[in-house]
Amino acid sequence: MNVFDWARAKSPWLLHFNTGGCNGCDIELVAALTPKFDVERFGIRLQGSPRHADILAVTGPVTLQIKDRLVRVYEQMPEPKKVIAIGTCALSGSPFKDCYSVLGGIDTVLPVDAYVPGCPPKPEAIIDGIAGMIQRKRKRELHGSDK
Amino acid sequence: MGQTSEVANELRVALKDSMIEVKAPRERRIFMRIKKASFQETVKRLINDFGFKHLSTITGVDLGDQIEVIYHFARDGAIELSVGVALPKNMPSIPTVSGLIPAASVYEREVHEFLGVSFEGNPNLSPLVLPEEWPKDVYPLRKERTFEELRQIGTKK
Amino acid sequence: MGYGSTIKVPFGPQHPALKEPENFLFEVDGDIVVNVTPRIGYVHRGIEKALELRSYIQDLYLAERICGICSHAHTTCYTQGIEELLGVEAPPRAKYIRTMIAELERLHSHSLWVGVAAHEVGFDTLFMYTWRDREVVMELLEAISGNRVHYAMNTIGGVRRDISAEETAKIRSSLDFFEKRVQKYLDVIRTEETFLKRTAGVGVLKKQDALDLCTVGPTLRASGVKNDVRADDPYAAYGEIPFKVIVDDECDVLGRTVVRCKEMLESINIVRYALDKMPEGSTRVRVPMAVPPGEAVSRVEAPRGELIHYVKSNGTTKPERYKVRSPTLANIPALCKTLVGAHLADIPIILAGIDPCFSCMDRMVFVDVAKDRNWVWTMQQLKRNTSR
Repeated sequence: MNVFDWARAKSPWLLHFNTGGCNGCDIELVAALTPKFDVERFGIRLQGSPRHADILAVTGPVTLQIKDRLVRVYEQMPEPKKVIAIGTCALSGSPFKDCYSVLGGIDTVLPVDAYVPGCPPKPEAIIDGIAGMIQRKRKRELHGSDK
Repeated sequence: MGQTSEVANELRVALKDSMIEVKAPRERRIFMRIKKASFQETVKRLINDFGFKHLSTITGVDLGDQIEVIYHFARDGAIELSVGVALPKNMPSIPTVSGLIPAASVYEREVHEFLGVSFEGNPNLSPLVLPEEWPKDVYPLRKERTFEELRQIGTKK
Repeated sequence: MGYGSTIKVPFGPQHPALKEPENFLFEVDGDIVVNVTPRIGYVHRGIEKALELRSYIQDLYLAERICGICSHAHTTCYTQGIEELLGVEAPPRAKYIRTMIAELERLHSHSLWVGVAAHEVGFDTLFMYTWRDREVVMELLEAISGNRVHYAMNTIGGVRRDISAEETAKIRSSLDFFEKRVQKYLDVIRTEETFLKRTAGVGVLKKQDALDLCTVGPTLRASGVKNDVRADDPYAAYGEIPFKVIVDDECDVLGRTVVRCKEMLESINIVRYALDKMPEGSTRVRVPMAVPPGEAVSRVEAPRGELIHYVKSNGTTKPERYKVRSPTLANIPALCKTLVGAHLADIPIILAGIDPCFSCMDRMVFVDVAKDRNWVWTMQQLKRNTSR
């Protein structure tokens, strides 16, 4: 694994995007940065710009009005990039799934690499989801996959 | 409850020409229905003479062949007075109150967007939350629009 | 920028200062805002229409998720309206528990906000402290209800869970700790130079403007107006619990911060009083599924201000019409007023000053994708250039 991959694996920078949620997941995600959970000790940081982010953390169901922007943000991120869907809304759109303004979960629009269920998931669960995703990535690298 | 029923009675007497009905189902809650004809004058009096200076919001309700616009006023943050005016659905229009209460503009826009009520004199009835491409004759909160239809319209793109 | 003509600066829908995707269009002349057009709507989920399609008890679950920070305020407002239509009253013990959870929610919401405000002015140390301390309240809510967010304590007719003696003891000890921390924040915000410079005299909203624009909540009270739904239009157990309505005359963002900190101290006292005087008895009454025809207006003082629900029932198990007006929407006119004439660098803190909860505001129909004209990256660069 070259030094850039190592840096990415060790300190993924997260871009957070809310597509239409109630904020519950967003607050728990931000709480993960705060002293009780302190996700920065894993090198995980919240970044403001897609151009510096490795992981797109999306909360909320995809509302029709936000869809294009969500795709645009994703496209602005450099490769390699991952998408993590946080919370039940991001997973499937529930409980707004049948609202006509809601398309569904994030995977209706973007390829999702990890799903963190919960309404909202606790900060520990979010960290677990991110860490698990990174671990799987490293395992794939060690086994020679080109992803 | 005493004070609320007193206020309700004062309103019944003072506004008897425009009043259709007034009731006070519990303390600090009054529901009034008035005729459209004297709407502007009534609102002026409610604000200036009766002290209902805070507008909490404006609700639009589809009653079938009419659309009711309900103005929720508060006095001293305490008594909540809901004033309903019924408008014919084929021509639902009512003068704006944003000249008297600037904050009303936002709520009027909302009711316009979702129920198609025109607020005459409101210079800005542009969509508050619906995008510009949304078909102008489709009012989502009207009963004739089913869920499925609206979803069709929304997901057409 | 800065040739004497106005230019438009997009802000949003994804910007670090806003946790939610909203859009503001600022017209600026040099460094000063001359006009602002809010274009809300990205979080629209069509909830008001959806509420008409589900039963009252199903709608409780949806109403809770209008907002993840003030979910209990929404369910309290919701259940009170339906209970009024049903002609039932929640038992006294349920009302006290509702009040207690509401105040714990206010604590977590206000301390969250103090942290966010501190972050907006670059005072990340305070952000970390407040969010660390806030965990104490989150743990309490989790111990009592089973969830840190969306506590699902309310049901139509009362509350779903009781408070045990063990939880009571835990609440008291946690609040003793939290009270000392809030007193510390109050000290810090009133003396810390960096915070004062960025908030004193910033985002001024004069008293008459606040009233004329129908402002609500701490934003209104920080402009010298003594209005609080808990005191003016008492609900739950507030009619029986003595507390102070916090008012400040500064009319600026600092005033709004001071009001929220002092309100936290009041909330702690309310919870203590509620625990001391907690009535015995049941926590809920059983109610029928169908609600007789009628209409009701329900109001509560959510952390952000007056929350109002209007419900019209038609004798079935589903509402005829359900309307929700959240406090953030009510404060948009005041927000626009305070933004005009402000420096660009102050935009984030002024926006934060009303404690915006856009997911509360965008509840109605929402469809189609707006043409993307305003992209955040321009504002990103701007924020970098103007941050102090």
